[in-house]
Amino acid sequence: MPNSQGKHRLETTRRRVLKAGTIISLSGAMLPTTGLAQQAGPQPSPENGVTVPVSFRVNGRPAALDIDARASLLDLLRERLGLVGAKKGCDHGQCGACTVHMNGRRIASCLTMAAKAHGRDVTTIEGIAGADGLHPMQQAFIDHDALQCGYCTPGQIMAAIACVKEGHATTPEQIKEYMSGNICRCGAYVGIVAAIEQAAPQIERS
Amino acid sequence: MTPSRNADRPRIDAHEKVLGRALYAADQPFPGLLHAMTVPATIAKGQILSIDTAAAVAVPGVVRVFTHGDFAQIRTTPAARGAYGQPGKGYQPMIGPQVRHRGEPVALVVAETLEAAVEGAEAVTVRYAEEPFSAEMDDSLATPEPEPVSQQASGDAEAAFANAAHIVDVEYRHPQQHHNPIELISTTAAFEDGTLRIYEGTQSAAAFAGGLAGMMGMEPQALRGVSPYTGGGFGQKNGVQEQSVLVASAALLLRRPVKLVMPRGQLFHTASYRPHSRHRVRLAADGDGRLLAGIYETVQQNSRYDGFASDHGANPPRLYGYGAWLGRERIVRVDTQTPGHQRAPHEHPASYATECAIDELAGALGMDPVALRLANDTQRDPLTGKPFSSRHLAACLTRGAALFGWDRWTSEPGALVAANGDRIGLGVACGSYKAAMTPSVTTLRLSANGQCRIATSGHEMGQGLRSVIAAELIEVLGVDPGKLDIRIGDTGHAPQHLTAGSWGAGSAAPAARAAALKLREELAQLTGAALTDEPVHAQLARTRRPFLEVSVDTLPLGKDRQAIEQLRRGMPVVTGPEYPDFLAFSWIAHFAEVHVEPSTRRVRVRRVVSVADCGRVMNRRTAESQVRGGVVWGIGAALRETAESDPRFGGVLNNDLAEYVVPVNADIGAIDVDFIDEPDNRLNISGVKGLGEVAMVGAAAAIVNAVHHATGKRIRHLPIRIEDLL
Repeated sequence: MPNSQGKHRLETTRRRVLKAGTIISLSGAMLPTTGLAQQAGPQPSPENGVTVPVSFRVNGRPAALDIDARASLLDLLRERLGLVGAKKGCDHGQCGACTVHMNGRRIASCLTMAAKAHGRDVTTIEGIAGADGLHPMQQAFIDHDALQCGYCTPGQIMAAIACVKEGHATTPEQIKEYMSGNICRCGAYVGIVAAIEQAAPQIERS
Repeated sequence: MTPSRNADRPRIDAHEKVLGRALYAADQPFPGLLHAMTVPATIAKGQILSIDTAAAVAVPGVVRVFTHGDFAQIRTTPAARGAYGQPGKGYQPMIGPQVRHRGEPVALVVAETLEAAVEGAEAVTVRYAEEPFSAEMDDSLATPEPEPVSQQASGDAEAAFANAAHIVDVEYRHPQQHHNPIELISTTAAFEDGTLRIYEGTQSAAAFAGGLAGMMGMEPQALRGVSPYTGGGFGQKNGVQEQSVLVASAALLLRRPVKLVMPRGQLFHTASYRPHSRHRVRLAADGDGRLLAGIYETVQQNSRYDGFASDHGANPPRLYGYGAWLGRERIVRVDTQTPGHQRAPHEHPASYATECAIDELAGALGMDPVALRLANDTQRDPLTGKPFSSRHLAACLTRGAALFGWDRWTSEPGALVAANGDRIGLGVACGSYKAAMTPSVTTLRLSANGQCRIATSGHEMGQGLRSVIAAELIEVLGVDPGKLDIRIGDTGHAPQHLTAGSWGAGSAAPAARAAALKLREELAQLTGAALTDEPVHAQLARTRRPFLEVSVDTLPLGKDRQAIEQLRRGMPVVTGPEYPDFLAFSWIAHFAEVHVEPSTRRVRVRRVVSVADCGRVMNRRTAESQVRGGVVWGIGAALRETAESDPRFGGVLNNDLAEYVVPVNADIGAIDVDFIDEPDNRLNISGVKGLGEVAMVGAAAAIVNAVHHATGKRIRHLPIRIEDLL
């Protein structure tokens, strides 16, 4: 529900954002430490222009804020919520570095409007490790050295988990095909395929 | 203490990378962070007449719109983009009204949010006076430099051709390519602890202290360059970028932290790239396939103002025992942003041209191309007559041939057919890359509780430098990898060298090893006895000291203490490949199997076998990954990557990852890697020669040669596309 633009409305919006920031902060305190979100701390964002109220769950915790209607989900996660695991590699949905899950499906968060997250569940790389350690896909990426610089890695791992859950990890050829939306410029593809083959049996298909 | 071989350990920083916790430049959190967006020039050459910022300033959230009028005090120094250290070269946009290439920044919009900055940037209107330009080396307005920029000569090459039984005279063309690391180039400038810290994914944090300070008229100690993790460099992040000083100056003027993540479409026009080049290769051989002479002439496209060298001729004459050699490199200047070093900058295009020409010579001779290469192996550099520090290229070839199954090779192209009708082609090519080194300054602290902290020179951009440093500390000190704190890529921790040219491992490994050995020595003095097998921190604990710290300056072979001072001032000091007593190179042999679908002519690289001689292998797991990465780059170069220059308006038409096509997972088949793993102890105490670039050298040629073997078609330009094979 967009607000109309204008100086007066902007001031109102700022106050609402500050309030929203408080809400995120409170819900954050109830969650297990996943590192960055806590390190960075939720910061009230001085939104400008048209805003929309968005409430959704990210990595299992509720979040509610007024967000610039132009913002992508990627910029919401990175610039507003301090969840910087998802990366910007192209901002055009061409590289896959920003891959996250929305309601269990992989999406390019740079091509998804932040407002679309409203009422939905978003999972990022920060939300997949269990309390007792790494997600099997994270461990498999270490075991097969399926990364070099690590920049595309969060997106690769989120895509890889989805690839298995979709039932697209039954052969190496199929894995390659369904992982081709995620570019690794360092060229760790051989390791990525091996990692998915290792982790697939440990991950339940949805 | 003899260095270990074939150690295989998890990448030391893999854990934080798979958790998404490694913080790259644009991930750093700052309260009150402002977001910036650049406005790119829409002309290729000319003058800015006026800039209307009113509409941009009126966008809610926009804090300030900077134009060249705000940045006139910035100086173009040898640290500027494109200068490559040379006075009078380089170009810093936005310090005057001129436009020297399409896409250069002409305004910088700073706003409270990214969305506002983007809207503001789109609202800026610029009027220009356009001037004629040349977008490409074949344009009529392109300017060839009158003299060659470098030359190599040994013996009388021209005369040798007169007596040759077989001659090859061919021209190969290499296209313009862009690095495209997945981490977008970004700059964040923020005041912390009284210094202006520049966070930029870089291979040269020193450029963001000393280099930017010089451009901004500040004291070097007022700035700190921070880049603990770089999301892929490949040479594109080897210095100050066009936007770096603009963002730093904006933060200085606004007294707030400012971040700019440059969109990829703009990076195609501001960051460096591998320039277009032409390669004429002439080879002369006798009836037995002995290489009598080579004449190698290249032309490379440069910008009007850069100091980027051409160095195609440095490696090919060293690959085989040529009787005589003549090499000449020329450049042509056009109106683009500066080209630069891209993984194996000249070695890759040079190996592509010369190793394909060797394949053509083998065809002319009716010889097996592996046998031709083995017959011309040499242990001495044909240009200087000096020996190589180590060279196991013949072993790379023979081992690779066995692993690959080269015995399937046939002299007739198109003879191998797969069960599904695909034509199978087998190709081979070799590569070399200089083993260079640079000085390092290292501080190593071992704590009695087992923690171990090292601060040293070097950057981690995915090549595995942290794992190389860890390997030496684990081996010499037996420290727990989980208790290692490796601080690199930050001028606040140690002086930083430009980490490029495959000299990272050959410099950081000896530095870490020297520091670890010194620490053992000092610990033995403290304990008063030779160290036992017990963990070193436990032995330290008994001395009742909380920690022991040592500092070591390491010098590359043939350099004196002055090199350390140069490093401290942020100046590049690099040695190699020529050392007083020998030349040092890493070597590699690649074997490629391609399948060409008979009706569509689609080429698939089904398998590559690569065997490298990089001296000692520091970590087998990360080294294999590095070689696979180099091979993937070779596949990209051979079959996918080219920039489409626009002769009408300048710039690159395919300036995104959908149209500048890089290899994806489905493009890659098996890549089997092996190593000779013979330490080169003449070069340094770690026995390391370097791997990141040699991994790519020759890979594209092996694929091109395989395509010829499958189809009988000799394609002399890249990338090879379906239409070339129809």
